[in-house]
Amino acid sequence: MKKSTAILLLILFSKFCANAQNQDRLFEQSYTLLNNMLINENSYSFKKAVFSVENAYLEGKLDTININRQIHFLTSLSNSLIKDRFLAYLEKDKPTVNKWASVYQIMCDTIPINYDDKLYKYSPFGYDFNDVFGHKTRENLFVSKLLETHKGNCHSLPYLYKILCEELGTTANLALAPNHIYIKHNSIKDGWYNTELTSGIFPIDAWIMASGYVHLDAVSNGVYMKALNNRESIALVLIDLADNYNAKFPNNDGTFVLKCCETAITAYPNFAEALILRAETHLKQIEKEQDKTKHDLKFKELEKEYAHIHEIGYRNMPENMYLDWLISLKTERNKYENKALHTMSKH
Amino acid sequence: MKLKIVFFLIYSVAFSQVKLPVAPTTPQIPNYSTQNYYNSNNRNTTPTSTTSYIDAKQAQQYQLIMQEVEQNEKQRAEILSQLQKDIREMDSKSDGINYNLPSFSNIKGTKYYRNVYDKMLTLNIESYSVKDLNFDIENAFLENSQDKTEFDKIIKNSGDFILAKMKELKYDTQSNVAKNYMLFQFFSENLNLKANGLKHTPFKYDFEDYTGQKDWTKMFVSKLLKTKTGQCHSMPLLYLILAEQIQAEAYLSFSPNHSFIKFKDENGKWYNIELTNGMFTAPSFMVNSGYIKAEALQNHIYLQNLSKQQLLSEFYVDLANGYIHKFGYDAFVEKVADKALVLYPNNINAQMIKSNFAANRFEFVAQQLGINPRDNKQLQKIKNYPKAVALLQESNLQSKKVEQLGYTEMPQKAYENWLNSLSEAKRKQENEILNSQFKGTFIKTIKN
Repeated sequence: MKKSTAILLLILFSKFCANAQNQDRLFEQSYTLLNNMLINENSYSFKKAVFSVENAYLEGKLDTININRQIHFLTSLSNSLIKDRFLAYLEKDKPTVNKWASVYQIMCDTIPINYDDKLYKYSPFGYDFNDVFGHKTRENLFVSKLLETHKGNCHSLPYLYKILCEELGTTANLALAPNHIYIKHNSIKDGWYNTELTSGIFPIDAWIMASGYVHLDAVSNGVYMKALNNRESIALVLIDLADNYNAKFPNNDGTFVLKCCETAITAYPNFAEALILRAETHLKQIEKEQDKTKHDLKFKELEKEYAHIHEIGYRNMPENMYLDWLISLKTERNKYENKALHTMSKH
Repeated sequence: MKLKIVFFLIYSVAFSQVKLPVAPTTPQIPNYSTQNYYNSNNRNTTPTSTTSYIDAKQAQQYQLIMQEVEQNEKQRAEILSQLQKDIREMDSKSDGINYNLPSFSNIKGTKYYRNVYDKMLTLNIESYSVKDLNFDIENAFLENSQDKTEFDKIIKNSGDFILAKMKELKYDTQSNVAKNYMLFQFFSENLNLKANGLKHTPFKYDFEDYTGQKDWTKMFVSKLLKTKTGQCHSMPLLYLILAEQIQAEAYLSFSPNHSFIKFKDENGKWYNIELTNGMFTAPSFMVNSGYIKAEALQNHIYLQNLSKQQLLSEFYVDLANGYIHKFGYDAFVEKVADKALVLYPNNINAQMIKSNFAANRFEFVAQQLGINPRDNKQLQKIKNYPKAVALLQESNLQSKKVEQLGYTEMPQKAYENWLNSLSEAKRKQENEILNSQFKGTFIKTIKN
């Protein structure tokens, strides 16, 4: 009796280990995929990158068939919009601008669809004010959740926007602000301009700079407001992977997280979030250090890390300030809206 | 300053399918006339010592060689001038079009500008005098009619006044922070010296024609000193001149259509002074103009403190702008702007001069071809003139460069509103806070 219980326990335990190992394996696989995208730019696909990260967190249970179907639907909808719609834009990059405008419409506009002589209404993606930082569950930040519920935040909305742009054969640059991600495009007529998907407004740069948490050095060093290239976007996804890993395995030893951080920082040296996560992980490791001299030495190194983060212009924005700032775009719309882009705005 | 651009983008739409020919490069003809291969004074000196026969012989040989060199030089110069003439003839024979803007060098007033330019080339980049250089640039516009001694006297008296007032207020006259605070007070407050009863009234902003469109001298420091009113060009410059006079450290900085003063306290914290309103301002005020793009900051075209070298670059821009206002665009303008860009490649004002220069030159050529560059249909005809096409491309490229640096045009009305927003309660409060913060830092140093 005793023996069989022990065997049963052993079997259960090994099952549990295998399961944990399997999960770990998915994270490792995702890391390898992302790292390969950085090494070989031909293998780059933002869609693949994002969904591999979400799949690892969901323990391989991401419904890829459904997701691909949805993305396919949204892409065809964009294409039909491009065909049927009039866009008051005259420069030679009109085909590209038209693609951006159609994706924007899909994200933010209600669109009537005529199918079999019946009129259907397509409803856009809305903003979900619950758990915008994914504290309750990381899934709230996921594009798969956005596709399912049509509600998202400043993480999932711009990611989906970028994925759709790439499906249409164009690009979109992600850009960072404190606690925030938005879209930058460069057109012949307007130069660089911003697209804010959480409110569906094209804000001028002053909106972000005036948030009060953007040090000018952070702008000039490209910590914030830089149009991120594809490599730098992958760096963002790498930190998502690391954050998800921490959420899944709270007591991990930091090795995997640090690996993600280092790779992200190589691709995007002034990426504040990666620098902070690296420092925080180092801090965790230092706290476990028994040897006092080693501890002190490492702590000195850590101070340098934080000093560097401060130096490049990063300042912490309290999370409760974030929503106030986000809403300021609507309350002070007149002040912060880019008037040059009225042809594309829906109002 | 404004960017004057219009026609190219329309052009590039319709024309994008045509493969444009590569611009023919005009051969660079080196100017040998200024190079001395030997010292002409030595040439005629016979050796004083006759003790050595060999020396004399060597000298003779030397002389022969020199003569030969001289002859070769002459020949070379002749060939070159002939070559230049041929090229000119060939050009005019081929299409009779002048592809360069006509030079204003025959106009008497341009001489003063060329002289100042030549003088500027000899300046020590790290240690030139802001006071002297700015005087020269203003004086070039006024055709050397200004009295330097008088100007120097005013600056010296002002400097003495500032230092005397500092002593009276028991400020530390060695502290850079205290000096800057006193300068700030000098610009914005009524002051008098108890010792001799000397009075000083603050400088005021002159709203009328502040861009100097009607009267260029509105931008001048001399006008500011005469009338006690100025604008965002003359006021920061006078500040720098006085800072130089009392050996304080302060920097010029740009924002859209605007310049202001920056300086650092002992802890490395930067302060912005807005002289047009006599206020301390927070960086958010600059950003709130709404015309600073992130790219402009990434390329360091705004809100950076200019180094002495970058400031010199800006003086070249001032020189060019005075010239443009008085005469217009010609090769001299391009030369000056190029020099400015060597010193400070991202100098947005110099890039804009280059852009306007290229646009003007293209327009000049197009007009000779009977083409109105603002008419898209007519513009298509230039494809028969490869050289004109090359000039158009150059012009497009230059305006693209300005845009990529993050420049956006700020309308005059928006600028005025922005500057006026300084009188809003919020800004006043900011000023109070910064002012007291700042005063705190150096009052402390006095106590120490």
